[in-house]
Amino acid sequence: MAKKMLMEILKHEKVSSNVFRLTLGGKLTAQPGQFVQVAVSKTYDPFLKRPFSVHDCSADTLTLLYRVLGRGTGLLAGKRTGEQLEVVGPLGTAFPVETADRIILVAGGIGSAPLFYLLKSLRAAGKKVTFLYGARSKEELILREQYQMLADEYGEATEDGSCGHHGLVTELVADALDKGRTVLYACGPEAMLRAVAELAKANNCSCYVSLEAHMACGVGACLGCVVANAQGEYVRVCVDGPVFPAREVF
Amino acid sequence: MADLTVSLGRLQLKNPVMPASGCFGYGEEYASFYDLSVLGAIVVKGTTVNPWPGNAPQRIVETPAGMLNAIGLQNPGVPAAKIKIRRLARYNSPVIVNVSGHSVEEYKEVISVLEEESTVAAYEINVSCPNVKAGGMAFGTKPEIVFKLVTALRPLTEKTLIVKLSPNVTDITEIATAAESAGADALSLINTLVGMAIDIEKRRPVLANITGGLSGPAVKPVALRMVWQVTDVVNIPVIGMGGISSAEDAIEFMLAGATAVAIGAANFVNPTVCPEVVAGIEAYLHKYNFSSVREIVGLAKRADNT
Repeated sequence: MAKKMLMEILKHEKVSSNVFRLTLGGKLTAQPGQFVQVAVSKTYDPFLKRPFSVHDCSADTLTLLYRVLGRGTGLLAGKRTGEQLEVVGPLGTAFPVETADRIILVAGGIGSAPLFYLLKSLRAAGKKVTFLYGARSKEELILREQYQMLADEYGEATEDGSCGHHGLVTELVADALDKGRTVLYACGPEAMLRAVAELAKANNCSCYVSLEAHMACGVGACLGCVVANAQGEYVRVCVDGPVFPAREVF
Repeated sequence: MADLTVSLGRLQLKNPVMPASGCFGYGEEYASFYDLSVLGAIVVKGTTVNPWPGNAPQRIVETPAGMLNAIGLQNPGVPAAKIKIRRLARYNSPVIVNVSGHSVEEYKEVISVLEEESTVAAYEINVSCPNVKAGGMAFGTKPEIVFKLVTALRPLTEKTLIVKLSPNVTDITEIATAAESAGADALSLINTLVGMAIDIEKRRPVLANITGGLSGPAVKPVALRMVWQVTDVVNIPVIGMGGISSAEDAIEFMLAGATAVAIGAANFVNPTVCPEVVAGIEAYLHKYNFSSVREIVGLAKRADNT
């Protein structure tokens, strides 16, 4: 059940040139795939809270991984250990756990953020997981070692060839799929998600994607964050998602 | 404890605080944060005869101390909305349904479908949505059209009829007077102000609808001024809204003449803002020894107010 609470910054680390890992203290239990809304300012400007997927979660900590993109994340990056942040959550849908012979997680760049918590949970449940990680360059394969260490099988791809397969991560997905016996979980740029969804469909595999949208309320009230589903109806990324079965939205 | 009750026509509210339509879904979205019975009223989303799909995304964009939205009255249509509205019967707060349509006939039909619903205590007639091509604001910018619409709706119901006004007019007092003389029991103001934003990298408007409605703290001074002007010329109660984000903001609107207040975009930022405003108003009344919230309505206009 979503609630509003103050959480203390326990740790705030810069993990690449523009990506930060923020560990907050407090009891906010989220499932893998869910997100929280964070106040980046105590004033009215910027006005809205910022949605972030849950990167990791324990009984009394919540970890977010975010890239500095604009003013809101810029302000967040300036917050120091010991400061309190107003957080609303947990929000949205989680990645459903499916039984399959093969589980593949596909991450694109900062889209890896929610997949760490999913990977950890699946491994803790004794599942074998393949993690495929793609980005433009090695620098953008953020925290690549933590995925490599946890996954049973790990593959990476960079568009500039600076690390792993020279090309798109979706090319690795095509090779790793077992027809009809694989479940895919993906988060990343929309083009990547579409490509993964198509591969899943062609191979009769289940596939779940985590979407992103400009968001205001985060609780389903404002209808600001909608995307068109396969029937052309507008569904809310914040409560009908962010995790959708791929066939519902592509 | 001060008396917080106020009346809108024959509708009595236990306190003057309600969410603004379009910012509270059909209520259930905020029910996990607090007991909705603390609200003076529950105001649900703009509802039309048939389902409306709403506008294409991108629908919202943040702006300085506010946001633009162009949702386009997405709603499931009155038969489906009715079922959601019935669920609100469990709360001890009257429900106000915001009504919209493409034509006078469509407004009439929404009311006729809801008339038998005991959960529905009042209608808020939306003549001010800036984000739909027909209906909405098209009805609310000319006094004679507002008069005609409200005249057509008035005989259909004995429930409280509220008219929600647009600020996107030359003189809001003319529209307010037209609504009052056609038989409105109360007025809501303001709806959002038409605005826009442009993405300088893509060199295109940010919103797919090009323009959107501005809300949030940025609009508060404009809304407050309009509440002041309208309450100078009408004798029916006004629900003041536009950028209210705290009890202090709400008190300003009441001092300007609003009998009740509605909270819109602030719910998005602070899901518990409505109960916080109720508590804050109560604390203010206590601090200054007012025995009723009604004593502060329009107080800033009174020459003898010392």
